[in-house]
Amino acid sequence: MLIYLLRRAGVGLLMLLALSVLVFLLLRLTPGDPVSAYINPSAPISPEALAELRTRLGLDQPLPVQYLAWLRAALTGDFGYSIQRGGAAVLPLVIERIGPTALLMGCALVIAVVVGIATGIVSAVRRNSGLDVALSVIASLGVSSPAFLTALLGLYFFSVLLHIAPSGGMLTPGVPFSFGDLFAHLILPACLLSIGYLALIMRYMRASLLEVLNQDYVRTARAKGVKEFWVIVKHATRNALLPVITLIGSTIGVAIGGAIFLESVFNWPGMGLLLVNAVNSRDYPVIMCATLIIGACVIAVNLLTDLAYAAIDPRIQVAS
Amino acid sequence: MTVVSMQTIAGKPAGPMRRALGRFFSNRAALVGLVIFVPMLLAVVTYPLWWPYGPNAIDLTALNKGPSAKHWFGSDGVGRDVLARLLQGGRTSLMVAVVSVAISTVIGFVVGAFAAFGGRFVDGISMRLVDLAMTLPPVIFLLVLASIAGTGIAPTILVIALLSWPVLSRMVRARLLELRERDFVVAARGMGAGVGHLLFRHGLPNSIDIIVVYATLQIANAVLLEAGLSFLGLGIAPPEASWGNMLNSARSAAVLEHFPWQWMFPGAALVLTVLAINFIGDGLRDAFDPRSDLN
Amino acid sequence: MRRRDFTQGLAFTAALMLGSSALPLPAFAQDKTITGGFDVGPGGFPKNFNPLAATAGFMWLKTYFEPLVIYNADLSALEGALAKSFTVSDDQKTYTFALVSESWHDGKPFTSADVKFTLDLARNKASGSVFAARLASIASVETPDDHTAVVTLSKADGSLLSILAQVMMLPAHALADIAPESLATSQWWSTTPIGTGPFKFSRYVTDQYVELAASDSYRGGRPKVGKLINRYFENAAAAVSALRAGEIQFTYVEPDDAKTFDGDNNFRVIKGDSYVVNYIGFNQKVDLWKDVRVRQAVMYAIDRNAIIQSLYGGAATAANCGYVAPHLVPEGLNDYAYDPEKAKALLAEAGWDKINGDKPITWLTYYGTPQAANVMAAVQAMLAQVGINVVPRVVDTPTYNGIVYKQDDPDWSQFPLVYAGLQNGPNPAGINVGLNKSQLPPAGANIMRVEFDDLSAAFDAALGETDASKVDGRWQEVCRVMNAELPWATMWVASRYGVASTKLVDFVWTPAPAGGPYADHPERWDLK
Repeated sequence: MLIYLLRRAGVGLLMLLALSVLVFLLLRLTPGDPVSAYINPSAPISPEALAELRTRLGLDQPLPVQYLAWLRAALTGDFGYSIQRGGAAVLPLVIERIGPTALLMGCALVIAVVVGIATGIVSAVRRNSGLDVALSVIASLGVSSPAFLTALLGLYFFSVLLHIAPSGGMLTPGVPFSFGDLFAHLILPACLLSIGYLALIMRYMRASLLEVLNQDYVRTARAKGVKEFWVIVKHATRNALLPVITLIGSTIGVAIGGAIFLESVFNWPGMGLLLVNAVNSRDYPVIMCATLIIGACVIAVNLLTDLAYAAIDPRIQVAS
Repeated sequence: MTVVSMQTIAGKPAGPMRRALGRFFSNRAALVGLVIFVPMLLAVVTYPLWWPYGPNAIDLTALNKGPSAKHWFGSDGVGRDVLARLLQGGRTSLMVAVVSVAISTVIGFVVGAFAAFGGRFVDGISMRLVDLAMTLPPVIFLLVLASIAGTGIAPTILVIALLSWPVLSRMVRARLLELRERDFVVAARGMGAGVGHLLFRHGLPNSIDIIVVYATLQIANAVLLEAGLSFLGLGIAPPEASWGNMLNSARSAAVLEHFPWQWMFPGAALVLTVLAINFIGDGLRDAFDPRSDLN
Repeated sequence: MRRRDFTQGLAFTAALMLGSSALPLPAFAQDKTITGGFDVGPGGFPKNFNPLAATAGFMWLKTYFEPLVIYNADLSALEGALAKSFTVSDDQKTYTFALVSESWHDGKPFTSADVKFTLDLARNKASGSVFAARLASIASVETPDDHTAVVTLSKADGSLLSILAQVMMLPAHALADIAPESLATSQWWSTTPIGTGPFKFSRYVTDQYVELAASDSYRGGRPKVGKLINRYFENAAAAVSALRAGEIQFTYVEPDDAKTFDGDNNFRVIKGDSYVVNYIGFNQKVDLWKDVRVRQAVMYAIDRNAIIQSLYGGAATAANCGYVAPHLVPEGLNDYAYDPEKAKALLAEAGWDKINGDKPITWLTYYGTPQAANVMAAVQAMLAQVGINVVPRVVDTPTYNGIVYKQDDPDWSQFPLVYAGLQNGPNPAGINVGLNKSQLPPAGANIMRVEFDDLSAAFDAALGETDASKVDGRWQEVCRVMNAELPWATMWVASRYGVASTKLVDFVWTPAPAGGPYADHPERWDLK
């Protein structure tokens, strides 16, 4: 088990290294650099005057030199400072964003998992009923609607028309922190973010439960006279959850992607917004650090998923 | 979720392909998908024949007009007909989706098949590549790639194609790894069959079902990706119409609140199309899945 | 389920982190607070706290820092700020500033030593100052006494005062210990900056908002509100939503959004000149635009008035040269009234079908707003009518700059035509940087590589004019040459808008280029 963990961690680190090379190269291929992001086209400063800045940032060095310099610093935990923000060190800036994104995604996931599994079970148990068909159609719509469209609709109805939700942000500026305030800002984006996910989980749950309900051990349980409710809760659901857990783990990257759209529409101060901004201003150090941290999270979640999978299904040996 | 047919195909023995088709056409959701998708496709392809307005014909005297008998879906901020742009946008979106999926299917199949047949080393390298591609959250990859490739139809196709192949290559590899150990493949290899022979005589026929299902569902994904990219201003740039960049106009508060026809119609077209393709894809998947007869 | 424990754990940890990062607030709670999106739009520069690195955002920086001199609120003249008055010697080379009595927010007095410190720092490239090149004409700064600063120039520079208006005075006692090289990355700017303005810095919640508190000892009187908050928004639309929801009292808005506030009694729409002339730039390095008849055809082919009436709702002025201000525009200009037939004839004369024909021409821009997209679609359709096939390509600003300023081996085919804007006021010298042949990159921003001798001569004459009564005539000559030779197809100068809640009292705002600064007297702003 320990060897397995160590090996996975080693592979993960190598992947992160490869990721950093990839992102570094991609960035340098992108037209425009952090200095060109500085020129306001309608009130330009001469490029000559900005050469000093380019030299100071080391952008005039050959690419391998730049990468190795970055890597050497990064290995000591120094990810540089945000070019767009002048002085701010990158690492605290990025770490500060993990909390809000984890909070938003966590809430969305909890909503999606709880509601998705519940409706999935209902749908499977009442198979082919009107309720099942209705839920299935809604779920299909949910899977087919892009996150930004639901975000727009949600913002339009709840914030602009009905005035019952704040228009964006995470906390009301200038007001002492309170959980109520946080909750009010959180609930709408979290619900909207959960929609696509919820629909997916519900569909998987339904399909997987239907399959399990046909298995012999479930029939045996029924034959023994176990109440239908307990058959579903104790015997069927536990086993039907397996594919759902894999699904959650393997789509965590997609979920982070969806969060980017939500964060950009709702001004939510998370990783996604940070990254989109950083790409727009070519803030190289921020992009490098943020993608690495996201990459590390995805790798860690994948590992956790495999472990959770093994814990639930004793037939699976992680070491194999 | 698809409603699977209870009907078993009894009587004379039919080939697997025919049985699959039979299952597909007795699947209600898949039929609904076809009923939505086929007319939409027809309208998108034939619209210049029956709709008087062009997608880029401006009319500065009729800005932001609501739906009327003249402009069924209203007009936009430069007086262009929203229906014409929606249909042209459908052409763009579907074209981008189909071409990018075609490219990513070829890449996905070839990489997956090479990984399966090419020996341990090739397998290890290509699967780590796939892992790497999957570690980077797609939208981020998309953002960076799109800002390199620039906006426009060709770069958008490229970006979407480059993003989507890893999943397919994994599925193809898994399927073909199983196949590799089977007698007829072992025999073929023993007789010195080349990689090309293995790939196309054995690999392709045995993974055609995964490929068809993947390609169908991936078209729906590609339509969504294109819309997302264009929404962020990184995909198809105006004045070329696409559903994504029509939705992008809703980022202006004025359009969002006061001219909803400019974004609700393309939004609805997008959701309906993706829904229909998903229905069809699910139907195909169930049809190709031999276990679905048991349900 | 383990999985759920895990996600709940995450959410819980996140909540803890958030909780701990929220600091208790100072006891101003009962005081009034004005919240605005002061860095939204083209004049803003969100997340920048260093005035020496600022290329915009001066309207906000000026609420806690102050310059020596400042434009008045309609940008028509310069007046004193931290300098209560100034005199200029006859040879235009010596500027003497008499300073006001003011103290920094930490109580230390503001003196001429601070002026010398700041100007020396701003001229020092190593500090990362974006003013270094523009202040190159300064030879020395002297401080005869605590309340007098004398700036001596090596050569006369008519733009000096308008540049000094953007140089915020910095406290020598707080910054002298930091090496200029490490100043650009110093935490001081966003944690404990001190200025002399009516508000003092209280805190910055990273990437969310900046909070200021009233400075009780401000020489213009204690501000009427206790707190001033600048909230950051990802785009103008998000700020508009917050404004409608009553979360903020002011923001810049896009022109289309401004229309939606018309007739709403809760809001006041503020309209002002953008001082940015929009133009279609002809890349002189490609062979398409050598013939002036082709450039004229572009002007005749575009119905600028129709676009202004419909797409700008009338809120723009057609430009027949780089200027629209009456004192800069001479009589007798060609107004290039819409005439597609004439455009076709000119193209035929010039042999357009041999030069290019109907091959697509990339039309590059950094303008990503919906309105710009509409305008470009309209222009594209109009040019198509006379047989010029342009294809708009919208890129973000860094990409645009990366393409047009590329030094070694620029790819002209990437930008044969651009749609862009350049600041043409309040100082008319603003467009020199984009049109004078002495300003070819990297020296300047003449990105279209315009090398017209008589135009450059007209600019040089205007810049070198020391007789105030002749200056306007010199700029009129620039306008005349532009109108005849068409280095650009000049389009219009549009208005920009801000929307303020009617609860705001004595609030002053104008869409000044780069955010000004201008005398908006934040100490007088109040909330009903």
